[in-house]
Order: sequence, then C-alpha cells, then structure tokens
Amino acid sequence: MRDNPGQTIYGIKWSKEGAKLSRTFDIIVAVILLLAVAGATHLHFMLLAGDWDFWVDWKDREFWVTLTPIVAIMFPAALQYMFWKYFRLPIAATLAIVGLMIGEWLNRYYGFHLWSYFPMSMVWPAMLLPSALALDAILLLTGNFLLTAIFGGMAFSLLFYPSNWFMLAPYRLPVQIMDYLASVGDVMGYSFTRTATPEYLRMIERGTLRTFGGHSATVSAFFSGFVCILTYMVWWGFGVLFSRVITVPNTFKKLLGLVPKAAGTSTQQGGKDTKLTTSTVGGV
Amino acid sequence: MATVANATPLGRPSDDRKIVNFKIPAIATVGLLAIMVFYRTFQRMFAWTAGLDSTDPVFDTYWMGLLKAELVLIPLLWVGVWSYIWFTRDKNLYSITPREELRRYFNLVLFIFVYAVAVWFAASFFAEQDASWHQTVVRDTSFTPSHVVLFYGTMPLYVTFGVGSLLYATTRLPKYADNISIPLVLAVAGPFMILPNLGFNEWGHAFWMMEEVFTAPLHWGFVVMGWTVLALGGLLLQIAQHMITLLRQMGELAESEGEVIAG
Repeated sequence: MRDNPGQTIYGIKWSKEGAKLSRTFDIIVAVILLLAVAGATHLHFMLLAGDWDFWVDWKDREFWVTLTPIVAIMFPAALQYMFWKYFRLPIAATLAIVGLMIGEWLNRYYGFHLWSYFPMSMVWPAMLLPSALALDAILLLTGNFLLTAIFGGMAFSLLFYPSNWFMLAPYRLPVQIMDYLASVGDVMGYSFTRTATPEYLRMIERGTLRTFGGHSATVSAFFSGFVCILTYMVWWGFGVLFSRVITVPNTFKKLLGLVPKAAGTSTQQGGKDTKLTTSTVGGV
Repeated sequence: MATVANATPLGRPSDDRKIVNFKIPAIATVGLLAIMVFYRTFQRMFAWTAGLDSTDPVFDTYWMGLLKAELVLIPLLWVGVWSYIWFTRDKNLYSITPREELRRYFNLVLFIFVYAVAVWFAASFFAEQDASWHQTVVRDTSFTPSHVVLFYGTMPLYVTFGVGSLLYATTRLPKYADNISIPLVLAVAGPFMILPNLGFNEWGHAFWMMEEVFTAPLHWGFVVMGWTVLALGGLLLQIAQHMITLLRQMGELAESEGEVIAG
C-alpha cells in the first residue's frame, strides 16, 4: 500500500468496493440532479416568464426580451455556486438550461401541439443555450463570482435576443390584412384563438417592440442585462444558502423509541464527518 | 500485496445483502412511468370528448370518476408506504455496522431518485400542459382534465416519495435520527406545500375570475415552493459527507485486511 500513494485519492483510501460504490453514487446523483434541476427550473420559468414564451406573437415584445433572461439566470446562478464551489464543475448554467429546454420542447409538442392543437411553429420555446454556455465559460475563465455576475450576467442577456433571431425572423415579415399592416406572428396570434386569455390583447399592445423591433429591443436587452447582474448576485446567495448543511437536534427522538446509544459502541457516530471541500469531495 | 478474495470489507460475513439494490426503486420507477403514460393517454382520449363541460354527464363519468379514484387510491398509498416505513423502523440504530449504514444511504438516495422522477412529471411535463389547456378551454370547474391529473394525481404522488424519504432517513439512519436535516426537510416540505397552495390557487381563480395569464401573481406561491428543490444540493452534500466517512472507514479496514486498493 505504501508503495503506491496514488491509491489514496483526496485523502481517502479507496477499497475496490468503495470505488465502485462511489461511481454508482455519482451516476444516481447525476440523474437526480438532471431531473430535479429540470423540473424546478421549468416550474420557475413557466410561472414567471412563461406567457411571453408560450406564443410566437408574444415573443419579440419588450416583456419577452426583458423578462426571459432575468428569470432564466436565477437557477443557473444558484447552481453555479454549488457546482463550482464544491465540485469545480463549470457546467451548472448549461445543465439548468438543457433541463429547461428538454422540458419545454417535450411539453410544447405533447401539450400545446398534440393536446391543444396549436402548430409547433406558434409555440416553440426560446433558445437560451448560447447564454448559458457564455455564463459557464466566463465562470471557468475568471473563477470569480463578481466578474461572472458583471460580464456573465450582461452576456447572458445580450446573447438571448440574437440567439433567437434565426427562429424569429420569419414571423416578423410584414403582411397586409384587411388594409392593415401586421406581422406574420401577429396574424398567427389572431388566427389561433386562445379563448381563455383575452387579457393578452391589452398587454401585448402596450409594447413598442411590435413596431418591428428597432432600438427598443436593444435598450430592453441592455436593461435586462443590468438586472441580470443584480439577479445573479442574489441567486448566487441563494446557492450559498441552499447548499448549507444545517441540522437541528431531533426533539421527536422519543417517538422513534430508539435504544439509547451506549458509550463507545458505535463505530460511525464517534468521528466527525468529513468536511466537504473541493479537496475532499473527489469521486463521491 | 495480498488480495483477499470475496472479502466483505467491513467484516460482516453474515451480511451478504447488496449495498446497492435497484430492485424496488426500479419497480417504483416503472410503475410511475406507467401511471404517467396512463394519465397522458386518458387525457388524450377523453379531454376533448368528455372534458369540456363539467355539467355534462360524461364529464362526471370520466373526469370525476378518475378524480374519485385518485382521492381514494393515493391517500391509501400514503398510508401504506409511510406506515410500512414507520412500523418497520430500526430501534437499534446505534448498533448497525458501517456497511449496513452505507446500504441504507444508498436506499435513501434511490428513494430520492424516485421522488425526483415524480417531481419532474408534476413540475415540468404536466404543469406546463396545464397552460396549454387552460389558455385554450375555459375552465368552469376546479376539476378540469388538466387539474385532475396535475393537482390531484401527480402532485399527491410525489408527496408519497418525498415524505417517505424523510421518514426513511429519520427511522433508518443514525445521523438523521439524531439531528433533523434542514436541507432534507426543505426539499420535502417545499414541494409538499405546493399541494395546499392549490387551495389558494383555486380560490383565487374562482373568486377573482382571473384570465389564464400563467405569470399572474396568484401563481407565484408555486414558484417559491419550487425554489426549495435547490435544497437537494445541500442534502446531497450532506449525504456525501456521511458516505465519505463510511467509505474512508471501509478503505482503512480493507487496507488492514490487505485488500488491493483501487487506483
């Protein structure tokens, strides 16, 4: 054993069985994280920015350009703290956004298209992957929370609008309907009636981006970037908070009817837990 | 360097149970997937034909029928799973071997895996589907084809596994019996609280006659509850801490027994 110090990894002497168990644990946890992150990010996004992303005639309004990056950066920021601090993995933003994309595409197809009969061309979800990749890349390159907030937050927002231009462009072509000028997206919105959402008529008319984009789209993107910087900082803090391992004494222990601990009988209770830092977490 | 063939590293020759046993989690996962496919198929077949008017007798047959079945079966599942965990609890927690403790940690992680599968279907797949339905079909009842599945089907189902994993940890693992883990409680209680939040949601929709803007403040309760899923990060770190301690003990014991250490 002493001849081969490489077999002690991150302060742990790995038995064959222990190493195998560690790998199994990694795989199970990876799947749990993908499912949980995808579900939570999707729930969060759909209920805070969803309406502007559900319909193609709502996209390109000032709310979509402004709100989508602000809401979408929250979970990536919190997860980046956990993944970077404890595992040195610069993949958190991409993981969260990939999870969100999987959930959204599945639902737009099975829910909006197959169940409610909207054409996919009306309900495709926004593209956020370039923003997420940039956020992760900036964290990797700087290794610094503040710089990631400033440059990553701004990049996350500024990349969002052009990332979607390729899909959005055809819907912005002008068409003439009953002597009025409209966009293809507008015509689709009016053609496919959403019976239970009359409110949208008033809300979308408020924006100025519907006048074929222009400077207000850019202004909205920069404003969104500014808020993204602040949002990133707050949610990095959420990451700190939610990854803290806090315990309180179990006052209901009597209910469990446990046989009290005899002094010195427990092999596993005596020692303190390994402090989980980047140097010890390793393969577990 | 000697190699001990078929060694049980922590010295429990009588304990030949596998540390990681996928059998029950696999059955639970396949069962969950079957239920989700059933829900989706049921919606596809009967939402448009029998789900548009709550005063229609066919609505009562199909959708209220499904709702009543859920309201009976899922609480029975709760009682069954939670009672089983409680009544088979280990009262001699402090005498278990590290190997047994490690086995139970894996059981807990697999329990959380099943929980995550159930949460994903509720929070992602069926939740946004609710938007596609309600922004298309006017709701005239709280028990719409979307709600019968989302609110009264998938959400109570994940509560089974969430509360179950909390109970399992508290009754099977010494460290969780000694001290309540706040990340574990948050990861279970937040999604659980989405269930009572439904009452507020339905009351708000009925009382204020709101249109189906999904981002309306009425829905923000769901969002805040959903944030607590982040506590799974803290929980997994905590489990990793405990498991590292056990694996270290395993490695040291294996070394003392002369087993080859993995490189």
